[in-house]
Amino acid sequence: MATAEEIYAKMQVSIEDYDRDAAVAAAQEAVAAGLDPLVAVESGFAQPIRKLGEAFDRMEIFLPQLVMAADAMKAGMDVLEEAMKAGGGALENKGVVVLGTVEGDIHDIGKTVVGAMLQANGYEVHDLGVEVPSTRFIQAAQEAGADVIAMSALLSTTMLFQRDVVELLRNKGLAEKHFVIVGGAPVTQAWADEIGANAYARDAVEAVKVLDGRRGEWAK
Amino acid sequence: MNFKEVAKRAETGPLMEANDFLMQRVAANVVKLQKEYDVRWDGKTLVNLDDDLADRCWAAGKELLLTSGLYSMNSRRVIEFSPEEVEHALRFAPSRLTMGEGKDVITIHHRDVEDSRLPFVFSGPFNADTHEDMFVKLNEAFAQERIIDCLFLPGYLKELDGLMIRPNSGLSSRAAVLYGQWSREAVRRAGRPGMPICGHAVMALNEIACTNEAWGLRQTDPRAMVFISELQVDDVTLTRLAYYAAYGCPLYLGFTPLVGGYGGGPDGTAIVAAASFVAGAVLGFEICHIGPQHLKYKQQTNNHSLFLGSLANQATNRNSHIITTTSHTTAGRPGSDQYPYEFSALALSVVPSGSNVSGPRPAEPLGFNNVSPLMARLFAEVAQAAAGMNREKAALIVEQLYEKYKDKIEFKEAPKGQPFEELYDVDTLRPTPEHQATYERVREELIRLGVPLA
Repeated sequence: MATAEEIYAKMQVSIEDYDRDAAVAAAQEAVAAGLDPLVAVESGFAQPIRKLGEAFDRMEIFLPQLVMAADAMKAGMDVLEEAMKAGGGALENKGVVVLGTVEGDIHDIGKTVVGAMLQANGYEVHDLGVEVPSTRFIQAAQEAGADVIAMSALLSTTMLFQRDVVELLRNKGLAEKHFVIVGGAPVTQAWADEIGANAYARDAVEAVKVLDGRRGEWAK
Repeated sequence: MNFKEVAKRAETGPLMEANDFLMQRVAANVVKLQKEYDVRWDGKTLVNLDDDLADRCWAAGKELLLTSGLYSMNSRRVIEFSPEEVEHALRFAPSRLTMGEGKDVITIHHRDVEDSRLPFVFSGPFNADTHEDMFVKLNEAFAQERIIDCLFLPGYLKELDGLMIRPNSGLSSRAAVLYGQWSREAVRRAGRPGMPICGHAVMALNEIACTNEAWGLRQTDPRAMVFISELQVDDVTLTRLAYYAAYGCPLYLGFTPLVGGYGGGPDGTAIVAAASFVAGAVLGFEICHIGPQHLKYKQQTNNHSLFLGSLANQATNRNSHIITTTSHTTAGRPGSDQYPYEFSALALSVVPSGSNVSGPRPAEPLGFNNVSPLMARLFAEVAQAAAGMNREKAALIVEQLYEKYKDKIEFKEAPKGQPFEELYDVDTLRPTPEHQATYERVREELIRLGVPLA
């Protein structure tokens, strides 16, 4: 039987190779070997995904690689999660994020990058896609027990739907329940302040930094 | 291709999720084709000088479109094309197109690489957010610059009657009507009543409401539509295409291949760009505009985008007679020296690569009215000066210009500049002495660097 270090190495390589099947196989091997899933996540998946995130920020790898790596990690994490559940535990994530591009806006890529980076950094991400109606953000956040609602708007003409979500949360008495972070090409800190969003991030790397750094404001 | 066939395939093509199209068709095929055709960036070149690389990029781009198709975002179906259909579309794509009315009629041409013919200049607010009380003045100030051939995207009305405009709303429809009326009024005031206006009134289907032969945008005005990155089209664009094609308007396509996105680096993304040019021709667009975007820098004058713009344009202009144009967005803003240095670098990269020009404007996030007609004049002068320039000479100037701003292309570091109302006397529509001095100073510097502006 492989040692723990050998299994962790397989897990690392699966992420570096963006190999979903290999990530699942390595995670299954970790479970079969009786390794602590929490330690396996940190030693096997977390390190390479962080490195890939940094490489992405330096433009050494690109969106497809980041998405494939995040996808491989999620598949492997699902295996470890199942094992934890079977033992009566749960695999901890940093937080639950509901993410989408606002109503009237069909731009997908910026939001997808943010989702992949958050996922790569240990967040559970529920990607609602594009043209997400304001009420859908709130409904999905309630259903997922989300800590964070993250909204992208690429057009100056669709930014106002970010305002509507914040206003709806306030009107429903849910403003304290969900931390709202906004972004997108025309969005600024001033706009976030104006509409009462909790935070603004210019890009995916900053989104991770902001949520990590302000964990105390949203973690339940 | 007949629009009837495009519409049919948008309803009958292979059904798949967007992510699968982007990952399995676009990204996977780009990796394969990049290797097969050896389309590589050396990590240094700002202006491509390699004709064979351009030709390989073109071949890879055509094959990418044939293997990937065009994704219909709303029906979730792939519009696929045969090699015969692509060749037919390229054969019959127009190489010249006339627009405007009366004495303001003007013709845009396909340009070859290092073509001595002047590039056609699309310039205007370029859909920067524009205040309603400044809309006519700002556009008049652009239209009075005779070097501008077509008033370009006269500015988004983000607010009206003190309210933010919701897409598809009644207010949005009113904004579209006013966009048409005020754009026409602006060119009339400038003494160019038939000047073509390339329009895109609001980001929704009610954009069509700006169309009217008497007071709005006319049959002779090009209408701008967009693909979504990468190789995706939505129902709004297809609907507008159906209408404007039937109405007889010149059809202007914009697409924004994204470096760092599904095409990968600048080399892979150039393949996507070439595929997008071909897709535009197949759908019947007559002017195809590349806006080389960047995932990290959000503007178009970084080293990756400079190379991408030059390579994709050369690929297309060496191998087809598609009429191409390139948009110019910058990190620096009007009022700063960096703004003209940036747009000059990109113009000097793409005009010798066969492109016409569209722009300039700063990248988002951007305040209201943050564009300058005087800088548009300089932009047009530089673009015209680049006509007939060989790529080697242009590359040397681009390298010097790039050195001037390369450390300030991140939004945080870029100069913030000033809006139109601070750069101009809005009563006389003349630039302030300070803004005029910036123009003169940068112009002198460009001449010193070898741009033949004198």
